[in-house]
Amino acid sequence: MSDARHHEAPHPDAPHYVAARVQRALAEDDRTHELGIRVDIRGDQLYLRGKVEGGERRRQVAAVAGETAPGLTVHNEVTVVEVREPGEEETL
Amino acid sequence: MKIRVAAVGDVHLGEDIRGRYRRTLDGIEERADVLLIAGDLTRHGTPEEGRIVAEEFRDLPVPVVTVLGNHDYQSDAEEEVADLLREAGIQVLQDDSTIVECGPDGVRLGLVGGKGFGGGFAGKCASEFGEPEMKAFVRHTREIADLWQKALKGLDADYRVVLSHYSPVKDTLAGEPLEIYPFLGSYLLAEAVDSEGADLFIHGHAHAGEEKGVTPGGIRVRNVALPVLGRAYAVYCLGGEDPESC
Ligand SMILES: [Fe+2]
Ligand SMILES: [Fe+2]
Repeated sequence: MSDARHHEAPHPDAPHYVAARVQRALAEDDRTHELGIRVDIRGDQLYLRGKVEGGERRRQVAAVAGETAPGLTVHNEVTVVEVREPGEEETL
Repeated sequence: MKIRVAAVGDVHLGEDIRGRYRRTLDGIEERADVLLIAGDLTRHGTPEEGRIVAEEFRDLPVPVVTVLGNHDYQSDAEEEVADLLREAGIQVLQDDSTIVECGPDGVRLGLVGGKGFGGGFAGKCASEFGEPEMKAFVRHTREIADLWQKALKGLDADYRVVLSHYSPVKDTLAGEPLEIYPFLGSYLLAEAVDSEGADLFIHGHAHAGEEKGVTPGGIRVRNVALPVLGRAYAVYCLGGEDPESC
């Protein structure tokens, strides 16, 4: 007798694939084009980490992630790049 | 004879942050003699964003030289973006060279560079083998490296700086996932520059990398991506061995 579990449908929604799909959407969606955002999924929680250049971009990243992974709670831990004074020069 | 080189990359300008970066350039002439921009000027590479970049960097009191980055190619409008920048007085290197006379002493700064490309690093890289797509990927980098080498060979200047978007070494990628190194740069860029010599290699693209590295031939490498610097721009003083000079 064969084990029925071997014949179950594959799991296209395994967290691994969902995270990959979100990362790809963040890179390819016209609203974001963000390549450096890290996406982690733990249970039904989705975590976004990385840096963007402005507050509106930070919000768009969460919006695109939420649309791509409906049903998950998005934690937007992305920060806005700080631009401080130029500071000390380096002599080479 | 010294020169102070300001450098930044990956400003990724767009409508939402228009004018914000410009404010940080106030007083740049006090700190530097020239400003180099290491690509990824825009997010989407549209002509509209190109105009925003041109406004942000036009009419500065120091010469401005830039290369494009991968984001500036996203909308297939890279030539139009480059033309908009040139119309605003910004020089755009595209696998060629230029000489900029800088500062009160008229120091001749020779610049070579362009976007660059990926492929990976010696011993762990792609090669021109197999499918045409693979060959084309690596050939693109090799052709760029060849052009830079030729441009450096004929470049007679007081100092020579290479300006790129992609990295020539792994040093400045530390902090990025190892798996994406082949998309962040290529050792072919370092090899080409090491063979002719230069005083400094500036790049961007690796937002999570580190600022400082060195090529196998001993040329200093600096990753000036804005998220790496965390400051408006870095300033590197060439010819500063004379303690009086910088
Ligand atoms: Fe970038
Ligand atoms: Fe880039």
